[in-house]
Amino acid sequence: MITFDGVTKRYADGTVAVDNLSLEAASGTITVFVGPSGCGKTTSLRMINRMIDATAGRILLDGQDVKAIEPATLRRGIGYVIQQAGLFPHRRIVDNIATVPYLLGWDRKKARARAMELLERVGLDPKLARRYPFQLSGGQQQRVGVARALAADPPVLLMDEPFSAVDPVVRASLQEELLRLQSELHKTIVFVTHDIDEAVKLGDTVAVFRVGGHLAQISDPATLLSEPADDFVRGFLGRDRGIRRLSFIPAADVPLSPPPPELVLAEGKPVGWKLDGGLRPYGSFNPATDSLRAALDASLLSANGLAVAVDGDGGVLGVLGRDALDAAVSGVARG
Amino acid sequence: MDEPLVRWDWIARNWDNGSPLAIRTLLENHVVMAFAPVLFGLLLALPIGLACARWRLLYQPATAVMNIVYAMPSLALFSILLSVTGLTQTTVIIPLTLFSLAVLIPAVVDGMTSVPDHVRQSAVAMGFRPLRRLLQVELPIATPVVLAGVRVATVASISLVSVGALIGQGGLGALFTDGWQRQFYTPIIVGIALIVLLAVGADLVLIALQRLLTPWSRARRSA
Ligand SMILES: Nc1ncnc2c1ncn2[C@@H]1O[C@H](COP(=O)(O)OP(=O)(O)OP(=O)(O)O)[C@@H](O)[C@H]1O
Ligand SMILES: [Mg+2]
Repeated sequence: MITFDGVTKRYADGTVAVDNLSLEAASGTITVFVGPSGCGKTTSLRMINRMIDATAGRILLDGQDVKAIEPATLRRGIGYVIQQAGLFPHRRIVDNIATVPYLLGWDRKKARARAMELLERVGLDPKLARRYPFQLSGGQQQRVGVARALAADPPVLLMDEPFSAVDPVVRASLQEELLRLQSELHKTIVFVTHDIDEAVKLGDTVAVFRVGGHLAQISDPATLLSEPADDFVRGFLGRDRGIRRLSFIPAADVPLSPPPPELVLAEGKPVGWKLDGGLRPYGSFNPATDSLRAALDASLLSANGLAVAVDGDGGVLGVLGRDALDAAVSGVARG
Repeated sequence: MDEPLVRWDWIARNWDNGSPLAIRTLLENHVVMAFAPVLFGLLLALPIGLACARWRLLYQPATAVMNIVYAMPSLALFSILLSVTGLTQTTVIIPLTLFSLAVLIPAVVDGMTSVPDHVRQSAVAMGFRPLRRLLQVELPIATPVVLAGVRVATVASISLVSVGALIGQGGLGALFTDGWQRQFYTPIIVGIALIVLLAVGADLVLIALQRLLTPWSRARRSA
């Protein structure tokens, strides 16, 4: 667990970047720091591994004050990923990933073997190991950055806007990848972003900062969306809060009806609606894995408003009518 | 009958005839007096350049001093040094070392500046301590820029050595004085040809060294 206890950072020029911050980042979870530019996210993050030292207050790592740990030793036990990946241009990918193991004095063979294992773990082709960083795409470099941070298996991972320099499609896949890794590794992750959608998607806990380094609200994403603490948070969350909140409600419990005869099937899988003498589009969702938001989306995509429920293989389970959907959604709104 | 421009028989007779003015001896002296200043210059420029990169306030005064030295006529430097080091190779090597510093110190500073900030930051965050960070991250990344400076300094040094002929220590430059005195062109042409060959050869070796040391930077440029 990472604990901020009354932490303040005042820079030499008098700027107060973080003001009396107290919060906890629970072990094995992702805590996201989100907020507008200049609100002190990076400063807060860097005080954890002492790249910046706090002016006042304490930061505890599992109860131990970070100021009691020699900086280089502390940092070797904390993975760190930044926006531009920060890979060493003069080292091959495998040696970039093995950086911290080398620093810890592992022998070369063991460090490289570990690096190769991580390369695959983050979804990269082992053939890339012999390349130099400039020979990789931005998204691939970012994956290498994550692999490098994980190399010595640190319990804590700090990530400062790691995915903001890549295009939206790549960003989405990197986010999925991080969630998949986290479900296997259970690291204590502090993740900085200015993108509220990313915060809500990745965070087990989201801490919203306002300029001046004040904590505006800290809670789980669904609560944040439904009960913003004040106008600042409400404004920062932006539009569509209601619909976005549906992402956190599983669609597992919605009542399904048997598929009507208009649903055209081929080998048990939906093809479209036979309406007005033609084949019209349909929308589908998987109740086992999808949220109410996906169910609503499927309903809106279907020509007749019936969302088609399918299993993992695409086989039809039933349909969800507007009335049933409406009941489920109103249940959420009532809380 | 016209005198030919190059008398090959003269070259053959004077290539290695045991005299202090044998072409081979002059060539060897030239090589020593040209490369020693670059080597000493690099050894001095590294600590000075690193200090300037670390404490930026030093850099302005250091470049100012270097530029004054650079502007000073070599003849003046020779005469000052003559009283200390006499008519020796040292009298040529010292000013040339100072000249090469004027190129190499900025090269080291530029090299250190060429290390991207996010790379330096991530080295700190990985847990490098300062000395190891310098040796394993910053200096390797600075190498292409420093080597570019070494190439300039080397070629300049090779051509400047001949000025030493004024005090009888010019390496191949002695062929020029000899040729002018006797109105005999063969030594002059031989001198020019050998100096140019030496410069081109040294540059090619340095380019090869650069490709060997920094495969990642060559590839980056062609990418
Ligand atoms: N070295 C420094 N000296 C003085 N002020 C600084 C320094 N570093 C940051 N600041 C100031 O501290 C405040 C917080 O900066 P910080 O980098 O933590 O913000 P941030 O939330 O990460 O912003 P962004 O989203 O733009 O990265 C800003 O007002 C910034 O100008
Ligand atoms: Mg920042």
